[in-house]
Amino acid sequence: MSTVLEIQNVSSGYGEVQILWGVSLRLEAGKLTTLVGSNGVGKTTLLRTVTGLIRPWEGKIFFQGRDITRLPPHTRADMGLVLVPEGRQLFTDMSVAENLEMGAFSRRALPHRQRNLERVFDLFPRLKERMYQKAGTLSGGEQQMLAVARGLMAEPEVLMIDELSLGLSPILSLNLFETLRRLRAEGLTILLVEQNIHMALAISDYAYVLNEGRIWMEGPARQVAANEAVKQAYLGV
Amino acid sequence: MLAQILASLVDGILLGFVYGLAAMGLSLIWGVMRVINLSHGAIMALGMFGTYLLFTHLGLNPYLAILLMAPASLLFGFLVYGVAVHRIINAPYLSSLLATFAVNMMVIGIGTAVFTTSLYNVDFSLGTVRAGVLALPGTRLTAALAALLITAALYLFLYRTRPGKAIRAVANNRAAAELMSIPSAQVLALSFGIGTMLAALAGGLITTFFPFTILSGSGYQSKSFVICVLGGLGNPLGALLGGLILGAMEGLIPIALPVSWVPVVEFTLFVLILLIRPSGLLGART
Repeated sequence: MSTVLEIQNVSSGYGEVQILWGVSLRLEAGKLTTLVGSNGVGKTTLLRTVTGLIRPWEGKIFFQGRDITRLPPHTRADMGLVLVPEGRQLFTDMSVAENLEMGAFSRRALPHRQRNLERVFDLFPRLKERMYQKAGTLSGGEQQMLAVARGLMAEPEVLMIDELSLGLSPILSLNLFETLRRLRAEGLTILLVEQNIHMALAISDYAYVLNEGRIWMEGPARQVAANEAVKQAYLGV
Repeated sequence: MLAQILASLVDGILLGFVYGLAAMGLSLIWGVMRVINLSHGAIMALGMFGTYLLFTHLGLNPYLAILLMAPASLLFGFLVYGVAVHRIINAPYLSSLLATFAVNMMVIGIGTAVFTTSLYNVDFSLGTVRAGVLALPGTRLTAALAALLITAALYLFLYRTRPGKAIRAVANNRAAAELMSIPSAQVLALSFGIGTMLAALAGGLITTFFPFTILSGSGYQSKSFVICVLGGLGNPLGALLGGLILGAMEGLIPIALPVSWVPVVEFTLFVLILLIRPSGLLGART
């Protein structure tokens, strides 16, 4: 078992406000790891730190054994550390095809564009039907599909997804979670950040529970889901 | 009477293509980086004097001169972006207004020192093309055609090429573009360069039928603002349409009113559109 991404003791925040307090997290290759927690506990801050949008105050981040703590965001993306951001952040005025093309902009992804395009259309046939439609005119579910698809076009080594199910109906969420399972089965390493804790734990291999900026609990997802404290605090049982 | 109206209308519309071209530069820069480029007029004036110098001192055909100016003005745009715009790209509007206004003052200041504010002209003619009741100056016809070709080229660039699509992606959502490892600083510089080039090319085309001074740019800059508001800022095709409308007005208004009323009507329209339909006639996003 090899570790692809390792976050070591990271503290981070905005201005004077500290959000993360010594968070450590490891992603195993080919596994689906989830980071769950309520709104406002620092999940997005952790992703922003990992992608390099904010610098950690303390701690280090290793990607494939290399210290990337000080590297700028685009270098990390070029290495295959790809984020599907919260709120999709699509190019709404551009077509579906163009959004996918922009996903494969990096030097790393460009040579594999055709192969990835086929893979993405295989995963999301709906996107192929809507290829020439403007992304902004898609339904919420289709937009989230496109956001994930655009991330896959970037030839990710690790795909990080921020709030996959936010604002989507349960059925649509379920479909997308199924797609993640399929991607994992194909060998992709995934970090899923979710508020929908129940669903996230059900499909993941390993889970971290973040609370008030600290890792409150970690373990195999099944064990975390079965934990009494987690059940009481998050699953409403 | 009808022939006169038709002649003025066609004359105005031909001019409108060139106005549209100039406004497109302003519109592109706004659309991509939300900067109102107050050096736009000064750059048009640079385009005029560039054409003048190449024509008068090197004896080049003015259209060849304009063609040569394209890469030069693109580079000048990169320079202005690097020196004045890049550092204030995320600052409030006032900063970018002041920065580009400072560039404007420098260009005008140096230009005035070199050329004074006297009137210059490019003494060049392509004769007159007659079509029925119309007698069109060849230079205006050529300028309109050139503006149309440049617009088409810009569209092909923005919609069919990788760097062009990257420009649209950055204009649409810069943060997401950066996540896709699109180098946004280079894309912004490229957009500013192209905007500058369009202004300079429009300036160059204008010299083939109007005399000019180093201060002429400011009048055309004001027209570009009116055009952008007509067509919707950030929308190149809207800019062309706005240019045609403004050109047509400039052709038609002098039939009924003294020529000095043209700007009054134009700017009244400007204010009315801002009040009634602030997103422009083509309704681009703001």
